[in-house]
Amino acid sequence: MLEAGRIRSVNCGRLSRRSLLQIGGLGALQVTLAELLHSNVASAESAPPAKSVILLWLWGGPSHLESFDPKPAAPLEYRGPYAPIATTNPGLQVCELFPKLAARAHKYSVIRSMNHESNDHGIAGTISLTGSIQGARSLGGINLPGQVLGTHGSVVSKVDGIHARVPRFVTIGKKLYQGPQYITGDEGGSLGPIHDPFRVNYVPGTGVELPDFKLIDGVTADGLSHRQKLLERFDQLTRFMETSAPAQRLDVFYDRAISLLTSPETRGVFDVDKEPVKLRNSYGRHHFGQCCLLARRLIEADVRFVQVNWSSHVEGSEDGGDWGWDMHDRYFQIFQDRHSWQLDQAMSALLDDLDSRGLLQQTVVVAVGEFGRTPKINPKAGRDHWNQCYSAVVAGGGFTPGLVIGSSDSLAEHPLTRPTKPADLFTTVLQQVGITTTRLTSVGLTPLGHAIEELT
Amino acid sequence: MIGRSWMRWYLLTGLCLVVVRCAVAETTDEDPLPAGWKQLTHDGHFKQRPAWSPDGSKLLFTRHVGESVRVIVCDATGTNEKRLLEDKHPRMDAVFLPDGKRLAFTFDKVTPGQGDMELYLCDSQGEHLQPLFVTQGKLTHEEWASPSPDGKWIACTSTRDDNAELYVISVDGKEKQRLTNHPALDVHASFSPDGRKIAFATNRWDNFEIAVYDLQTSLITRLTESPGLDDYPAWSPDGKQIAFASRRDGDLAVFVMQADGSKPRNVTQSNGSANFPTWTLQGEITFCAYRNGAWDIYQCRP
Repeated sequence: MLEAGRIRSVNCGRLSRRSLLQIGGLGALQVTLAELLHSNVASAESAPPAKSVILLWLWGGPSHLESFDPKPAAPLEYRGPYAPIATTNPGLQVCELFPKLAARAHKYSVIRSMNHESNDHGIAGTISLTGSIQGARSLGGINLPGQVLGTHGSVVSKVDGIHARVPRFVTIGKKLYQGPQYITGDEGGSLGPIHDPFRVNYVPGTGVELPDFKLIDGVTADGLSHRQKLLERFDQLTRFMETSAPAQRLDVFYDRAISLLTSPETRGVFDVDKEPVKLRNSYGRHHFGQCCLLARRLIEADVRFVQVNWSSHVEGSEDGGDWGWDMHDRYFQIFQDRHSWQLDQAMSALLDDLDSRGLLQQTVVVAVGEFGRTPKINPKAGRDHWNQCYSAVVAGGGFTPGLVIGSSDSLAEHPLTRPTKPADLFTTVLQQVGITTTRLTSVGLTPLGHAIEELT
Repeated sequence: MIGRSWMRWYLLTGLCLVVVRCAVAETTDEDPLPAGWKQLTHDGHFKQRPAWSPDGSKLLFTRHVGESVRVIVCDATGTNEKRLLEDKHPRMDAVFLPDGKRLAFTFDKVTPGQGDMELYLCDSQGEHLQPLFVTQGKLTHEEWASPSPDGKWIACTSTRDDNAELYVISVDGKEKQRLTNHPALDVHASFSPDGRKIAFATNRWDNFEIAVYDLQTSLITRLTESPGLDDYPAWSPDGKQIAFASRRDGDLAVFVMQADGSKPRNVTQSNGSANFPTWTLQGEITFCAYRNGAWDIYQCRP
C-alpha cells in the first residue's frame, strides 16, 4: 500500500511529549494557502449566514434521556440514575454528566422531537446522513431499493464544485460499520465517488492519518526514507497510474493528495500538535477531543463540511467495537466513565474555541446520532435502539441559540410537538450555508425536508 | 489537474522532505502532580478498576486500547507490566482473591452475544479459567466481583432477574443468593473488611448514591445524599472509612467518608477526573485519573 499521505506526529513514549511535523519547502512550487484553499464558487445569491458545518456524528445512538431530554418525573425504570441540571438556558435542563455543556446552553438549541422510520443502525444511519432511506443496508445485509443518495457533505461538495485544492468535505474517522459490514450513506452515493469525503483519522498517541493515499500495495511510509526504494516505488506507481483505468479515475484523489503533500501550509492544517498544549487539553487528548480540534482547523482552512465520527463501529469496546454509543448493556457505567465527559469536554471546547475566534457565527455545529435509546431501561441495565424520538443539538452558524424545539411525551417515547425528521434538520443546516433550493435544483437535486424556521 | 509527470515529482519531493521530529514537551501548561501523589502508569490509555494483591506487591487494572480491553498486572511501582487473560474478547475488572493465588474477573462474550458478561476465576497467571457465575439461555451480565475477606464468597451484580441486583455467590459457584430486589440499579459491590456488610451504588433514591447492605439484617442504609452521582465505593483496610467517586464538586473526584457516611471530603482536589478508588494496605488510595490529557493510575494519601 502506498501510504504516501500519512502524517504521523509521533509521540515519544508519553503523551506529555509534544510532537511536531515539519515538511520541507518546495521553493517556487509552493503556493499560498489562500490560493490553495480558494473557493471556486461565486454564488449569485446573497451571502449565506454561515460558511461551514461541523457534524459531530454520535454513531451508535446516544440516549436522549441521558443527554438533552431528561425525564426526572418518569418512573425509575425509565428515568435512569442521573439527575437533570439547570443550564444557562432557563428553558432547558440536561443530564448532570454534562456540566460544561450546561454552562454553554445559551450557545446552542436543542431539538427534542427527532424521529424517523428505522431502528436498524445501518438504515437509520443512511436516513440520517442522506435524508433518505434509499439504498440503506440493514443489519442482515439487505440493501433497500433505490440508489443511495449523497451524504450531506457530498451535497455541499456537489453544489460548490470540487476543483478547489482542499476538499470541500472531510470526514474525520473511518467508514461507518454496523457489525462487520459498512453502512451506506456516508459517501458520495448517487453524486459519485468524486464527492466522497476526504477521509482522515486521528489516532491518540500516533497522530493524524490520511488513509486516502493508501492506494498501492507494497509501499509504506516506513520505506520512504530510502530514496532508491522510493524511486522504484514511484516508478511502480506511475506505471500503475498509466495502465490502470481505475487508477485514472482516482486522479482527483491524487490531485488532492498532491496539494496536501506539497504545501507546508495545507499539510500543516492537519497538524494538531501546532496548537497550544492548554488548548489541546481543553478539548481532551482522547480521540473525539482531538478530532474536534482538527475539525476547527479544517474549518479555518475553508473546508466547508467536516464530519467527525465519534466511532467507526456502533458498539463499545467491550462489545468488539471502538467506543460507539450502542450500549445495550451497562449503558450507565460506560456512559459515566467514558462517553459523557468526553462529549461534554470536547463539544464545549469546540464551541468556546470557535466562539473566541469569531468562527461560531459562521460555523454550524450539529451533534446527533442515528437515533436515541429505549426510554425504558432494559433488563441488562442498558437501553436499546429508539428511532421514534431523540434529540439533536444545533449551534452557531447564525442559528438562533437558546431554543428548545419540539418536545417529547412524559416518557420520552414519542414527539409531543413538532416532529422533526433528519431531512428537516439537514435541509435547515445546508440552507444556512447557502445550499438553497435554487442551488440544489441547479445541479439536479432537491431538498428532502422542510427547513426548521424557528432556528433561522 | 496537475499532470502525472509533475505529480510524480511532487510526490517524490514532498514525501522525501517529510521530517517528523519529537519536541520537548511544553510542560508549562500542564498541571503539576499534586503534592503527595504518585503516578504509577504513564501510557495515558483509559483504565479502570485498579486492585491490589493481598500482600500489596502486585497491582491489577484494566486498560482499554482502541478496541482491546485487557487485564494488566504490574509491580507496586507500576513497573514490570504483564498482560493477563489474553483473548480477543474483553476481559476486565480483575481482583485478587484473599489467597493471592486466584483472580475473579468479568468476561465479556462479544457480538452476537452482545452484553453477555460472566464472572470467571483463574489463577494468578491468568491461566486455568473456571466459570464462576454464568447465566445460560439469555443475555445477562454478571460483573464487578468483590471477594469476602475469608475468600469464600464473591459479591457482584447480576441482571439475570431482568434488573441489576446485588448477589453473593460461593467461590465454587454452587451457592448464590440475591440480596436486593428493586427496580433501581444496584451495582459495584464492595465487601467490608469484617465481611458483615457490602457497600454498593444504587439509584433507588434518584441519582446514584452509596448505600450499605447488612448481611445479617438485610437492611439497607443510605450513606450519601448529594446532588451529583456517587459510585464505586471501596472500604478502607481497617473498615473505618469508605472511598468513593463523586461528582458533587463538578468533576469526578475521589472522596473519603467515615463508614457511617459522615465527614465526606474530596481527597483528589485537582483539575480533571478521578475515578475507581481502591485502598492499599498502608491506607493510601489508588485511583484512575484523567490529567493533562491522559488517563493513568495514581496514588495519594487521603
